[in-house]
Amino acid sequence: MIEYRGLVKRFGAKTILNGLNLRIEEGEIVFVLGTSGTGKSVLLKNTVGLFRPDAGEIWIQGREVSKLSEHDYLEVRKVCGMVFQHPALFDSMTVYENVAFGLRRFEELSESEIADRVKESLARVHLKGIEDKKPPQISYGMQKRVSLARTVALNPRILLFDEPTTGLDPVTTRAVNHLIFELSRKMKTTSIVVSHDMECALEIADRIVLLDKGSIVTQGTPSEIKKSEIPLVRGFLEEVLA
Amino acid sequence: MKQLRHFFDLVARTLFVLSSTPFRMKEFSRQLYFVANGSLPIVLFCVGFAAIVTILEASFHMKLVIQNDSMVPGFAALLILRELGPVVTALLLTSRVGAGFTAEVGLMKTTEQIDALRMLGIDPVQYLVVPRLIATIVGTFLLALLASMTCLLGAMFVTDIHLGYSPAMFLSSMRVFVDFQDLLLAGLKGAVFGAVIPLVSCHFGFLCEEGAEGVGKATTQSVVVSSVSIIVLDFILSYVFSYV
Repeated sequence: MIEYRGLVKRFGAKTILNGLNLRIEEGEIVFVLGTSGTGKSVLLKNTVGLFRPDAGEIWIQGREVSKLSEHDYLEVRKVCGMVFQHPALFDSMTVYENVAFGLRRFEELSESEIADRVKESLARVHLKGIEDKKPPQISYGMQKRVSLARTVALNPRILLFDEPTTGLDPVTTRAVNHLIFELSRKMKTTSIVVSHDMECALEIADRIVLLDKGSIVTQGTPSEIKKSEIPLVRGFLEEVLA
Repeated sequence: MKQLRHFFDLVARTLFVLSSTPFRMKEFSRQLYFVANGSLPIVLFCVGFAAIVTILEASFHMKLVIQNDSMVPGFAALLILRELGPVVTALLLTSRVGAGFTAEVGLMKTTEQIDALRMLGIDPVQYLVVPRLIATIVGTFLLALLASMTCLLGAMFVTDIHLGYSPAMFLSSMRVFVDFQDLLLAGLKGAVFGAVIPLVSCHFGFLCEEGAEGVGKATTQSVVVSSVSIIVLDFILSYVFSYV
């Protein structure tokens, strides 16, 4: 479904991804964990063409995409929905307009069909009655969920989450994590979640990948990860056990 | 060097998008309202005072050196049309409009709104730069002409009150010194400066780094570079129109 082959990304003299190889199967929920600056977000942004790799290949649904032009990448972005670290909602638009924005762009729908899809997408993330509000008028947790609704409104086959719970309180964090699991399973999407949250990864991931200095340190199912003796993995686990 | 390449890439991309994509009338109107209508009071207020100072200073020094200030109205009218009107307007817009553009685009960049636009298949240059560019060119052109007219009225008023030359004398003196080319230069300068402001502002917005410090730094750089560019371009245009 998604495969990275020898992926290298540098910013100036600094190598962020160092020959990364990873294959993600269809329908899998994969958590990519690691300390800050190890290239987790860069990996996601390379997947959707917001960054371009310096070397290596990215295969999505059997197609090598890393060298596609910005215009041709649009086809890839239609199947990949990305939820950013920030809510990334457009401040000048209402919640309704934010969610409808991509639908108007990508799909030929009537205004009533768009309204239905917006309502359905907001319901999927357990929000209602906020369609007319602007992003600054709702809480940060709600903004994150609207951002999720905007992404799922387009029914993507692949969902990419870049630290979706950063900046949220523990209760909202738990709610968003369950939402990710629920949406991924209901929509039968392949999901990559970049996170620091080992507790959530152990709970909902099919596979956990641990990155360090742009390379994979280890990967496995939650039960395999729990048994790992690698110091970096133990560091993440100790925090959960504590 | 890298920044310069980014700027010229942005200019080339903007020109390409400008010629190949449909015009967004609604966004253009919104930006034009912000640039022209929003800046009108402050621009007219400032250029009015600049005109008064010009008349007073010119008169004082001419009387001191040649004991005669009869040429002040004509010279002042020429200076107002060729310099004061367009340049003061552009410098005021740099701080009011340009700083706003940089902060807005910079914040959009650091909060990943620009990435979100690209994910939705929207070209940020088409979406953000083009409407601002056209609106600022039109807005600065109109404001430069309006500012020049206000300057002339202010100058005429002070000349009448302080120097004792009637408006008719002012206009007849102005006719000797000023011709249509000067009005054309005022409009042209306005339009050129109007192109510089959004291009420089958006360039620094796109390069903005994270955090309040990043946005502050980008805004400061944008205002400084726009102001310097306007002054340099003012020299080039004045030289071309006067000597070439």
